[in-house]
Amino acid sequence: METMLEARELAKSYGTGAGALKILDGISFSVKKGEFVSIVGPSGCGKTTLLMALAGLLKPDAGAVSFKGKVLTGPSAGIAVVFQDYSRSLFAWKSNLENVVFGMIRNTTLSKAEKRAKGRELLAAVGLDGFADHYPWQLSGGMQQRVAIARGLASESELLLLDEPLAAVDAQTRADMQDLLLELAERFQQTCILVTHDVDEAVYMADRVVVLTRRPTRVDHDIVVDLGDRRDQITTREDPRFLEIRHDVMAAIRRFRAETPLAEKA
Amino acid sequence: MALERWILRFRSLVSLALILAVWQGVAMLELGPRKYFPPIPDVAAGFWSMLLSGELLAGDSLTLGRALVGIVGSSLIGIGLALLGEMVPAFRSAFRPIAAIVQPIPPAALVPMAIFMLGLGFKLYAFVIILVTIWPPYLNGAAALAAVGDVEVKTGRMLGLSERDILFRIKLPAAWPEIFAGIRYAATISLIAVVVAEMLAGRDGLGFMLIRKAFATRIPEVYALMFVCAFNGVVLNALINLLRWRITGWHMRMTERTP
Repeated sequence: METMLEARELAKSYGTGAGALKILDGISFSVKKGEFVSIVGPSGCGKTTLLMALAGLLKPDAGAVSFKGKVLTGPSAGIAVVFQDYSRSLFAWKSNLENVVFGMIRNTTLSKAEKRAKGRELLAAVGLDGFADHYPWQLSGGMQQRVAIARGLASESELLLLDEPLAAVDAQTRADMQDLLLELAERFQQTCILVTHDVDEAVYMADRVVVLTRRPTRVDHDIVVDLGDRRDQITTREDPRFLEIRHDVMAAIRRFRAETPLAEKA
Repeated sequence: MALERWILRFRSLVSLALILAVWQGVAMLELGPRKYFPPIPDVAAGFWSMLLSGELLAGDSLTLGRALVGIVGSSLIGIGLALLGEMVPAFRSAFRPIAAIVQPIPPAALVPMAIFMLGLGFKLYAFVIILVTIWPPYLNGAAALAAVGDVEVKTGRMLGLSERDILFRIKLPAAWPEIFAGIRYAATISLIAVVVAEMLAGRDGLGFMLIRKAFATRIPEVYALMFVCAFNGVVLNALINLLRWRITGWHMRMTERTP
């Protein structure tokens, strides 16, 4: 299968000289078209820095990110980011429909009316039929994140970068949103990279889990999640294989935690 | 319950009535010298006579007009400077000390030299009002534009927006509520500045009338003019609110939605 995204030897430090903090230290992995890859790692390992580099929002000091075979030099059409902080990512002065339509800003072929029609379809696809003319701040957190996802899809993304998108929603909404994301990824043929600290979520959603080391961060493990394409909140999570993979991922991350000196944890 | 709702509904009228009642009480008890603290009917009579002679409308339309032109001008310039500062950070840091020096100068201090240089006409008022009212829209605008979050900006970048589009389509809309807070504050200052300038430049307008009536010891009319000054504030605020509702209605609904 065709490679959608490839990270080669990505390195990034903050600061210079003796005080420089090396965050990424040669990260390489690739994601094939249609794959759902989760990225997990110990707290503070630079997952978000990595995702920003994959998005083209952050220039790495060394190495490169290629999207569909072309080296990224900045944000690119075809890549959308769903941020954790949906309330800031959505524009409070625009209605939900206007927010989604804003996602089509690169599109010059559709007329205004066509964009609005497509925006309504996308809102319906994320389960927000009837909320087009509401404002984001009139919705619950989970619903706001749905609007943000619809806007990402509106930009005709092929690659969705999900930066802990469900970290701020409650547990039950979270399970529904996980299934919605999986369904949308399939329906809209999205390749997805999910950054999360929730190991259960990482395994439940993904075809592969990339486990990162602590800072300076490299790829520690790249684990295939052979649980089939259909996931179910009850049966998948009880599957012995799910528990086995969860065990491996958790063990890898906890190993780094144990190695971290106490002083650095604070 | 019903009374409470009635009071809430007509709250501005209720508080106005309360002020007038207290005023009348103080005047009738002669807590102050009657000559310098006339009862409401005397003040109303003074108002009425100025209204009938036409001098009140002529004077107040000048004052309100000057304040309005001043506030529109200073808002446009202030917002323009804030946008420029956001586009060119070097400009913002260079402008900061200038703002710090000019801002504390009281309007009255500007008037004498402005009369020499600009004469007694419209230019004088424009200069004085703009120089004292430009700061709230500018400072609020600059702070609000700079405070627009990283996530909003990154969202714009991911959609391929240029820096200019990010400024005008994301940062400016996000900053409007703060900018309007500055404009409303500046409107109050502009009314004060106009009246002070009219008092000192002494040719026409409410400020000029106030000085003249005071020297003629026409006390009820002086008080009537003070009421008109207060009323001007209400008018200017209402005009600004019309625009504010159009541009930042979303924010007003967002902040007022407490059930």
